[in-house]
Amino acid sequence: MPAEEMGKVTDRMRFVFAVSSLIFLAVLAISPFKDYRREWKQYKRSYLRFAQGRPDTKRLTADYSPNIDQIWLPGMNVVDRCTTCHLGITQASLVDKSVPQPFRAHPPIPHNVREWGCTICHRGQGPATEVAEAHESTLAWEQPALPIHFLQASCGTCHQSELAQTPQLARGRKILAELNCQGCHKLQGIERPAMLGPDLSSIGTKVSREWIYKWLKEPRTIVDKDGNVTVNGYETEEEPRMPKFRLSETELRALTAYLSAQKAKPLAPYKISPAVVAAWSKNPELISQGELRFRQMFCSTCHSLAVTRAGETKLIGGDIGPELTKVGSKVNPDWLVGWLRDPEAYLPHTRMPRYGWSDEDLYKVTQYISAKLVDSDLLSNVPKLDPPTDAEVQLGRRLFTEKGCASCHLMEGLNPQKDFGPDLSALGAKNASELEFGVAKIPHNLLSYIQAKLQDPVSVNPAARMPQYNWEPGDLDAVTTALLSMKGAPPTSALQNLVVPRKEVTFHPTGSFAEVYERYKCYTCHKFNGYGGDLAPDLTYEGSRAQRQWLMEFLKSPQTLRPTLILRMPQLNMSDKDAATLADYLSMVMQHPAVNPTTTDTKQFTPVMATLGKQLYEVKYQCQSCHTIGGTGGYVGPNLNNAGGWLTPAWIEAWLKNPQALVPDSIEPRRNFTDEEIKALTAYLMTLRAAIKPQKTAALAGTHAMGQGAGR
Amino acid sequence: MRILNLIGGAALATAVLCSWSGCRKHAEAAKTDPLWASYDSEADWTDSTKVTPLGYQQAQGKRVFYQYCVSCHADATPAGPSNRSNLTPVPPLLNDGGTLNTESDEFLQNIVTLGGSAMGKSAMMPPYGCTLSAEEIRSVIAFTRAIAQPPYQPPGRPGSQYSAK
Repeated sequence: MPAEEMGKVTDRMRFVFAVSSLIFLAVLAISPFKDYRREWKQYKRSYLRFAQGRPDTKRLTADYSPNIDQIWLPGMNVVDRCTTCHLGITQASLVDKSVPQPFRAHPPIPHNVREWGCTICHRGQGPATEVAEAHESTLAWEQPALPIHFLQASCGTCHQSELAQTPQLARGRKILAELNCQGCHKLQGIERPAMLGPDLSSIGTKVSREWIYKWLKEPRTIVDKDGNVTVNGYETEEEPRMPKFRLSETELRALTAYLSAQKAKPLAPYKISPAVVAAWSKNPELISQGELRFRQMFCSTCHSLAVTRAGETKLIGGDIGPELTKVGSKVNPDWLVGWLRDPEAYLPHTRMPRYGWSDEDLYKVTQYISAKLVDSDLLSNVPKLDPPTDAEVQLGRRLFTEKGCASCHLMEGLNPQKDFGPDLSALGAKNASELEFGVAKIPHNLLSYIQAKLQDPVSVNPAARMPQYNWEPGDLDAVTTALLSMKGAPPTSALQNLVVPRKEVTFHPTGSFAEVYERYKCYTCHKFNGYGGDLAPDLTYEGSRAQRQWLMEFLKSPQTLRPTLILRMPQLNMSDKDAATLADYLSMVMQHPAVNPTTTDTKQFTPVMATLGKQLYEVKYQCQSCHTIGGTGGYVGPNLNNAGGWLTPAWIEAWLKNPQALVPDSIEPRRNFTDEEIKALTAYLMTLRAAIKPQKTAALAGTHAMGQGAGR
Repeated sequence: MRILNLIGGAALATAVLCSWSGCRKHAEAAKTDPLWASYDSEADWTDSTKVTPLGYQQAQGKRVFYQYCVSCHADATPAGPSNRSNLTPVPPLLNDGGTLNTESDEFLQNIVTLGGSAMGKSAMMPPYGCTLSAEEIRSVIAFTRAIAQPPYQPPGRPGSQYSAK
């Protein structure tokens, strides 16, 4: 370029300058445009448009700001910007399902959303400002938002005690405990009990090697082609506690050899009196009499039997003890006699009570079990097993530890195995990158991992030692919820303070009561000061509720108070002395502080009061809708035929004032009775007396059919 | 031309195959849907293949119903036989839309809170106002509305988005 032309602006340059300026301007405009088009800003504008179409626009937009909103809770480590888009979260008028998300209001829950933020419960990434980042797992944030179906897991992270509002979580925790998951895994809030599976130290004296083989191969559970869980071939809702292990033929043979050789602590042999055997063995009614006694003693309260009705086979009975349909083909008859007489001698931690047996009953019932509760085909698929060789026993012993059997089963000479499986007490806080997915074609997140592992342990890890379980879909989700809730110790002290711990309760009675209490295992079904089972009434305040004389009679001959119950208090054949010990202790110790049986004197009740009470009962309050007196009334509450002989007047008064103060989860509605009405109703109820039918003793029982329902 | 036909045929076959396998997958999924057996859905009382999903409030209502109300307002209870047949007048089933759909939420709230006699109905319905919270009673009503047969239509406000979907 010549020097004189330098600095001279040519048209060409003008054009280049104009174009580049335009381009520059356009590039500059991209940024504000992109900012304007941001996801959250679109939601903000869309909310304004949405609010315009609602009748209460003013209220809906009162807190509106065009900026990012956030809930900041420094103590809890929460920065939640969710409310930037979820603008209607606290607007009561937007609670309806027809309101589109993200504007719908949060349903009313016990916590205030503004005080808790969102991610404490819903998880996900609180500070995120994009939909995908907030809800899904990203490389930088591996905890995606929890699907609503599993949300109760978050309740359980803090509420380690039981909550009524979270049935799915409670069910999951119950299943985890029932299936003895804590045998191999450390679980948050679920303690390892003293006994998980039975003590196998003398299993060789109880069952045959063939039966063990069958049990290990198919531990009762058979899943048919339709995916139904069956127990001994019968469909059931209950999952047997023993899971199915993947065992080869050699392993099966070795384990059965080892187990059938275990006879360390045999039961002392017991010989039923020859006179009884001679009197009954030829009697054609022996088996039917045995069945009658089996039913009269209410074995079915804890044990179930398969019953076929109208072509459908069902298990009927309780699930505290094992199902007994084919137990006659399982156990050695001599062992059965010894076991029934004294279960604790064989299993120190058993929950089975020590019944008071007469030789006659013992003979009849064991003969019934060995004759009727059998299946000749039970062991038909088991190959012929020769006497165990030393090599098999040695291998079996090794396998017993290697397969984790010793985690649940006690064995003489072996230390119990603890923590055989991985620690799951912080599983719910695990990131996807900490999990092994193997070759499984499932989404890489914690939820899918847990469900895949539970359904088929080898799908995510071919070398998994975990046995195979069969889950009902609802139960699988419940267990997943419970596992997701276990997030270990909270990361901040503010969160730590929010944890509602599970209350560990124990009840350690002493003296002669303790002996009888242990003998009859009252705690298997009843609760005492919060400790014990939940099958039968809580006895914590039984002394305030029931009269001592009634307790005595009831213990000796339990009558059901609720006509519809199928599971009843077993006939324990208690001696007078045992019954008196229990009745004395219950009436002296198990008292409610606010109910004093001595303050209400029955003498103050006049016939006029009782007549008024009867009218209130029948006309004004119509108590007969739930309670039965005589032949009429409802099934919901206990029958009151013998209310005067059963309840203490002080209890009736306190109960009528406020049933939930005495039994918190009682469904009897609390009503606003006046004091006069309470007195009148109590006076009426105290006039109700019905003689308890004389106890059917073993000798008498023979002539009567069962079906001795309570009441008339 | 023949090649075109061939391609067309193949495409058609693929489409048919895809849609068929899609249908099959759907049918299988419907059978084992995990939501079915759980707390946040309720199977139709007369037709167990129909399942109603429940929201938070309705699910809480289901819980309260199965604890407090089921013995008289259902024909079967999880724990045993129903108490319904013992009562005169026979209480309505909770899913009885024919009876309950015409009652307002307010009326239902009152009859559960105050009992039948306070509302001119049978005294056999006891008051639950001292036992259940207002919120719990509201949730039971929400559950009633969810399972009603014939389905419940809320009284819509004309021209607003409040009316039912």
